[in-house]
Amino acid sequence: MEHIKLEPTKRSPGIDFDFASGIFSMSGESYPEDVNKFFGPLIGQLKGYLSAARGATIRFSFDLIYFNSTTAKVVMGLFEMLDEAAEAGNTVTITWFFAADDSNMEELGEEFSEDLEHASFEMVPKA
Amino acid sequence: MEPREILRLRQDMIQGGVLFYYCGYVTEKVLAAIGDTVMDKLELDHTERPVARGLFSLFVEQVQNIIRYSAENQAGCVDERPVDLRHGMLAVGRGAEGHYVLSANAIKRRDVERLRQGLDHIRGLDRMGLKAMHKEILKGLVPEGSKGAGVGFVDIARMASRGFEFDFLEIDQELSYFVLKAHL
Repeated sequence: MEHIKLEPTKRSPGIDFDFASGIFSMSGESYPEDVNKFFGPLIGQLKGYLSAARGATIRFSFDLIYFNSTTAKVVMGLFEMLDEAAEAGNTVTITWFFAADDSNMEELGEEFSEDLEHASFEMVPKA
Repeated sequence: MEPREILRLRQDMIQGGVLFYYCGYVTEKVLAAIGDTVMDKLELDHTERPVARGLFSLFVEQVQNIIRYSAENQAGCVDERPVDLRHGMLAVGRGAEGHYVLSANAIKRRDVERLRQGLDHIRGLDRMGLKAMHKEILKGLVPEGSKGAGVGFVDIARMASRGFEFDFLEIDQELSYFVLKAHL
């Protein structure tokens, strides 16, 4: 699969999906005008990759400053997909970066990770 | 509107602590431009970062709510491009106790009861209850819009550290004005 790299904009996050090495990241701000239009193709590709992955080491990092409630649904869906990939035998690590003074972002990380059963999860505060 | 009335409007706004006010058709472009301006103003005022972030979140959810649900709209095509303009009102202000974000838009009167019940329900939840409801909606366990409340309102309730208030003011036979004020 082609490496996907999207530069962040004011309203959409930077995306780095390196399928060959299993390293993925989403960073910046996310309140796109049309959430489905922005995320739909990305989720589709990721889903295809994850469902075919066997014994892979996958790292996904979220480094978000702000996201709106419709993006929150997408993030929840990503956590579920990644946990399923871990259940299928892949080694999955999710990292949640947040500004140390942003208790809301910290709380959201905790909330998203609560139902993970197979993937590893780490929270990393940033100064 | 008479030119002289503008001054009274301005004074009312200043007295109400309004830092930013908008009334008219709201689009995603307007949201982006006003969002930037509000953040610049908060920065110039040395607003604490968590407060500025919270206000911005409230602002985005409330504006997107107008864009999605205002019943006062004008739809058509401009250069073969579909356009649907939704009318609403927005204010970001500061009072003695803290900041607020106020939004208002028309809704159909037949939708009032459902929305009132949804918002009453959300307002009755504590932090844990809000968190649980938020997650249920995100996971698709509670259909969006059921109980008259989407994830946006739950988000608003979570961000509004000093709570939120709302009202429905009768416009005419068909429409009510839905006003939402979130305090932070």
